[in-house]
Amino acid sequence: MMKLLRIELKKILTYKIFWVLTGLYFVFLALGIILGEHIINNWVDSINRHIPLPLPHVTLYFFPDVWQNITFFAGIRYFLIFPAIIIIILITNEFTYKTIRQNVINGMSKVDIQLSKLQIILCFSVIITTIIGIVALILGISNTDSAGMHLMLTKLLFLPAFFLEIFTFLIMAYFCAFLLKHTGLAIGFFTLYVIIIEPVLYFLLKIPGLQPNNVSQYLPVNSVIRIVEYPAISSLQRIMGITLQDHISLLHCGITVGYSALFLGVTFVVMRRRDL
Amino acid sequence: MDTLLSLHEISKNYGKIHAVDKLSMNIHKGQVFGILGPNGSGKTTTLSIVLDLIKADHGSFQWFGNVPSKETRKRIGSVIESPNFFPYLSAQKNLEIVAEIKDLSYDDIPTVLKMTGLYDRMNSKFRTFSFGMKQRLAVASALLGDPDVLILDEPTNGLDPQGIAQIREIILRVAGEGITIILASHLLDEVQKICSHVAVLNKGKILFDGEVSEVLAEADCIEVSADNLELLGKVMSEYPQCKSIAKSNDKLLLYFKTLVKPQEINQFLFSKGITVSHLMERKRSLEKHFLELLAQES
Repeated sequence: MMKLLRIELKKILTYKIFWVLTGLYFVFLALGIILGEHIINNWVDSINRHIPLPLPHVTLYFFPDVWQNITFFAGIRYFLIFPAIIIIILITNEFTYKTIRQNVINGMSKVDIQLSKLQIILCFSVIITTIIGIVALILGISNTDSAGMHLMLTKLLFLPAFFLEIFTFLIMAYFCAFLLKHTGLAIGFFTLYVIIIEPVLYFLLKIPGLQPNNVSQYLPVNSVIRIVEYPAISSLQRIMGITLQDHISLLHCGITVGYSALFLGVTFVVMRRRDL
Repeated sequence: MDTLLSLHEISKNYGKIHAVDKLSMNIHKGQVFGILGPNGSGKTTTLSIVLDLIKADHGSFQWFGNVPSKETRKRIGSVIESPNFFPYLSAQKNLEIVAEIKDLSYDDIPTVLKMTGLYDRMNSKFRTFSFGMKQRLAVASALLGDPDVLILDEPTNGLDPQGIAQIREIILRVAGEGITIILASHLLDEVQKICSHVAVLNKGKILFDGEVSEVLAEADCIEVSADNLELLGKVMSEYPQCKSIAKSNDKLLLYFKTLVKPQEINQFLFSKGITVSHLMERKRSLEKHFLELLAQES
């Protein structure tokens, strides 16, 4: 197993495109996390102009809500798409350069190839989750007063939930890459699906007589990003009387695991039948 | 002799086209085995099947007398069609990946790079290589870890004469070390120069299978000429082994039932009072044999 990972790391570590995209991802993610708070506070400001009693500015990054809020932002599809594109490139490169053929000729099985890519997805998900965790910890410590510190770990479960979110999202990218084989085609289709096709489907499924949120919420991308729900802005919620989901959606966790199994299974069957 | 690779009635169809049609053959240890056939005769498909890249519709094959697995593939060095490497990695790094897959140490890498004349460029990225160098890197990767057998599919395709000479020289050197080589080619000349055995393939079927020297040794006919052609023909028709006589310009072409040497003919004619002005053995070339075989088929 370590052997497969060693081989994959050799392919990745000196790959410029990989580092550029990873760098871009973290830059955008950092911007998102910083701007997230600003955007909400701007919105608060615009409301304050119309009401006599001004609402307070929100802080998203204090314990314990920081865990939910930061994983929510990192789980937005526009951010998730970056690591997904990286995974698609790493997989379709094998087809473009025909190194997948060469690897089989040299003594890898088709299953080995899939396992090696899965290991990369696993590592990538662990690393991103760890970084998010560290950032959340730093933000939490610097934004929480001493009175709130004892709540530090109460919402920590959002971190493993985020891990499941990104892992499954990357499995979808993996499925798409193995199926379509061409880099451009796979990235194009995946991006189109995640950003346009599924939101449209989601909307269409909700219209005709179906109960709202009934079928549409089980679409793959929707299931994944629903694991961690909207940010908890307790001060605002209390004032405005909104109740937002502040727990992890176990239903969507289950569906997500189901989708992972399905995508992995279909990829396995397709690869077994396909000639290289 | 140890059988290295045996194929039993392998078939692969693409729609109505029989790419490989009930192909059976045995390749033994130590042979330099040529698979000769025109483009589209099923050479690459056959090799892809025995390397597990393509699934055969029917039939089976064995490597080293065992059921094929990824472990058996680690003992085979192959160059199939184009050289496949990561363009952004150096020659060294690309070979390290191959070594990892085959469970080899990196110690052999400098050796194979030297052997293929790429040692000075080991740290250059693959994409900066000329086509000839890419092909040599593919051969270098195939040679890693002293494989039991080397499979080369059109290894000189698309190379310039210098590149062709370099690759052939490497192949001959490797063959000299006793490594079994399977070489697919559509170039007769290549097979003739390198191989000890040959299987001629057309439309997925084997037309001929045997030693190259055997094919070449067979004298096709003997050309003979004398001042009096008419008399010469008459005398020759009395020769017991003579099968047929054909006239070609100022020469007679003599075909025999068995192998007859030119000196026997010379002696025979001299004893009959005829002095020849021209006497030549015309060996059947592999090319001619090849074309004949293809002609019989169609």
